[in-house]
Amino acid sequence: MVKNRVSMEGSLAVAEAAKLARTDVVAAYPITPQTHIVERLAQLVADGELDANYIPVESEHSAMSACLGSSAVGARTFTATAGQGLELMHEVLFVASSSRLPIVMVVANRALSGPLSVWGDHSDVMAARDCGWIQIFAENVQQAFDLVICAFRIGEDPTVLFPVMVNIDGFHLSHVIEPLYLLCQEEVDKFLPPYKYPYALNPDKPVSIGAFGMPNIYTEAKKSQDMALRASKNVILKTWQEFGKLSGRNYLPVETYKVEDAEVLLLTMGSFSETAMIAIDALRERGEKVGLIRLRLWRPFPLEEFQKAVAKAKLIIVLDRALSFGRPTGPVCSEVQAALYPLKTKPEIVSFVGGLGGRDISAATFENIIRNGMEKAKSGRFDELEMIEVRQ
Amino acid sequence: MKDTTIEIRWHGRGGQGAVTSAELIAMAAIAEGEYAQAFPSFGPERRGAPVLAFNRIDNANPIRARSSVINPDIVAVLDPGLLYITDVVSGLKQNGTLIVNSPKSLVDIKSEFGGPWKLAVVNATAIARELLGVNIVNTTMLGAVVKATGIIKMESLVEPIEERFGARAKRNIDACAKAYKEAEIAEPVAVRARQKREFQVEKWPAWQELLPGCVVIEAGSASQYRTGDWKSQHPESDYSKCIKCGLCYIYCPEGCIVPKLGEEGFFEADMYYCKGCGICAQECPKDVITMVEES
Ligand code: SF4
Ligand code: SF4
Repeated sequence: MVKNRVSMEGSLAVAEAAKLARTDVVAAYPITPQTHIVERLAQLVADGELDANYIPVESEHSAMSACLGSSAVGARTFTATAGQGLELMHEVLFVASSSRLPIVMVVANRALSGPLSVWGDHSDVMAARDCGWIQIFAENVQQAFDLVICAFRIGEDPTVLFPVMVNIDGFHLSHVIEPLYLLCQEEVDKFLPPYKYPYALNPDKPVSIGAFGMPNIYTEAKKSQDMALRASKNVILKTWQEFGKLSGRNYLPVETYKVEDAEVLLLTMGSFSETAMIAIDALRERGEKVGLIRLRLWRPFPLEEFQKAVAKAKLIIVLDRALSFGRPTGPVCSEVQAALYPLKTKPEIVSFVGGLGGRDISAATFENIIRNGMEKAKSGRFDELEMIEVRQ
Repeated sequence: MKDTTIEIRWHGRGGQGAVTSAELIAMAAIAEGEYAQAFPSFGPERRGAPVLAFNRIDNANPIRARSSVINPDIVAVLDPGLLYITDVVSGLKQNGTLIVNSPKSLVDIKSEFGGPWKLAVVNATAIARELLGVNIVNTTMLGAVVKATGIIKMESLVEPIEERFGARAKRNIDACAKAYKEAEIAEPVAVRARQKREFQVEKWPAWQELLPGCVVIEAGSASQYRTGDWKSQHPESDYSKCIKCGLCYIYCPEGCIVPKLGEEGFFEADMYYCKGCGICAQECPKDVITMVEES
C-alpha cells in the first residue's frame, strides 16, 4: 500500500484539509450538498481532533459575517456553502474581499432556484463572479484537498490578503469517494505557516476596519483592490509551484490536455473536465486534432496564460454550466470572447450550455458537443449558444 | 449651441436649508416656464457641517448636465463663517454674483471678498431670527438672491414657499421680502484681482498609498477632525456665576468640555471641536453660558 493513500469522500477530504490547515474558526450553515463538509468539521471540533471554534449560525449571511469578524482578529477562518447559501451571503462576500480578509470557503456548486434544485451546476459561483474573491476550480477529490490547503497560504500571503473560494461540483465532487493522497500534519505545517494578519483587531493596538468611503476616496479604494487581486496571480503561481515540490502534484491557472497540435479546443471548468478528457482521447484516436483546456483560476482571470494557451487553435468550443439569461452566450464564453477580442489572430468561438441542475454530461455527449461545434463553425453559426440535450 | 444655462452654487451648513433654497428657486423657475434643476451635494447629513446645493436654470434649452457646479454664475453663502473656511468664490465667473449673509457692512465685506463680481450683502440671520425666531436663513436669502440677480420673479416664490411651509409660509415670505428690501449691492470691481486667501486644502491619497482594505492603523485619528468648523454660534461663559457642577461637561454631546485642572477648575469648551449646538447653555443651571453668533 502506498503511504498515505486513502479512500475518502470529497466533502471529508475538504474537511480534512481544513483540519490539517489548523483552522481556528469555522462558521457555517448547513446546506445540501455542502452538508458533509461542515458536519465533519463540527464532529472534529466536538471530538477534540481540531482545536477550533465552530460557530453554528442562523443563516449564510451570518456565517460569512462571523467569518469577517474572526478573520479580522487574526483567526484562520474556514466556511463552506452552496447554491442559494452563496447568494444569501452575497453582500457580505464583497465586504470580505474589500476588507481584504483571507477567509477560505469551499463552494459545493449547486444550481439556483427555481425550480428548486439541490443538484450541481455553476449558477451559484457565476452569480458571485465579481465579488472580488480569488476563485479556483477543482476537478477531483485530490485537487479539492490540495487546493484548499493552498488556498490558505495564497489568501494569507501578506502581499495578497484576499478571501479564496475553492469550487467543487456539488454531488459530483462533494459526494464521490475516490482515492486520495493525504499530506501529514508535519508537511502541512511546513507548507502553511501560522496565520498572521498584519492589521488584526487588537485592543492593545487599535485599528479601524470597514471605514466608509466618500466619493473622493472610493475610486482609489477600488483601484487598489483590483490591482492587488490581479497581482495575487504571482503568489498563486508561486504557491502552486511550491506545493508541487512538496506533493508532486502541479497546478496551473490554465490547464491543458492534448493541446500541442490541437486545432479545436474544448473549454470546461470543474469536475466534468475529466469526463471530457475521455472524449478527447476517443477523437484523437480517430485522428481529430482536438484538445482540452480548463480554467482552474477563474479570478483573477489568467488573461496572458489563457491567450497563450489558445493562440494556435482555430476553434474554441466553450461549455458553460450556467446561463446568463438573455445573453447570447454563457458567462464563461462571454469572458473568453472578451479575452480574445484584442488579439489580431484569434480562434473562432462556439458557445454551449449544459450540465444544468445536476444533469450529467457523458463522454459520448462531449464527443457530440465537439463534433457539433466543429459543424457549427464550418457553417458559420456563431450567433447563439446551444443548450445541449434539451428536449424539444 | 449657445450656452444659455445659469448656474448657482449654494454654500450652507447642514440644517440651514441650502437645499431648500435651491429647490424653491428651481420650483419658481419651472413655474415661470423655464428649464431648471436643483440638487444637493449628496453626503452624510451632519448638522452644522459645510454643505453645497446647486441650481441650473435655462430659459431656452433642457438641462442635461447633472454634475456639480464648479463655474457658477451665482454664489450664495448662507453662513458668514463659511467665508473663512471655504473658498466660496472658487470658479465664480467674471461678472458673476456673490450673495453673502453677514452682519458686516457691504463696505467691509467688499474689502475682504470684493472682486470682478457683483456683491450683495444682507444680514439674513438677523432677519430670520426676528421674523422666524430661528437661525434658518434659506427663505430669507432667496430675497437677496432675487434682488441681486433677477433670476426669477419674487411673485414666483410665493406658491413654492406656501407649498413647502404651509402655516409658516407667511412668515417666510415676509422674511424673503425683507431681505429683498435690505440687501445692499455693489457692482463688480473690474480691475481687482481675486484676493489670495489660504484655505485648508483637503489632501487625499493616491490608490498606491492606501493600505489593504483601507484599514486605519492610526488610533484616535478622528481627533484630528476639526468639527469646530461646523458651528454658527459658540458658547461664552461668565464664570463668576459658575458653581462647577459639571452639568455642561456631562451634557456636551461632543465631549469637548473639560475641567481646566490645576487652574480655577472651571469647565471650558474646546473650540476646535465645539459644534455650537447650545446644549451646554441650555443645561447650565446658573445661566453661565450664552451662545454668541460666529462672525
Ligand atoms: S455648544 Fe456646548 S454642548 Fe454644544 S458642542 Fe459646544 S461646548 Fe459642547
Ligand atoms: S453647567 Fe454651568 S454652572 Fe455647571 S459647571 Fe457648567 S458652566 Fe458651571
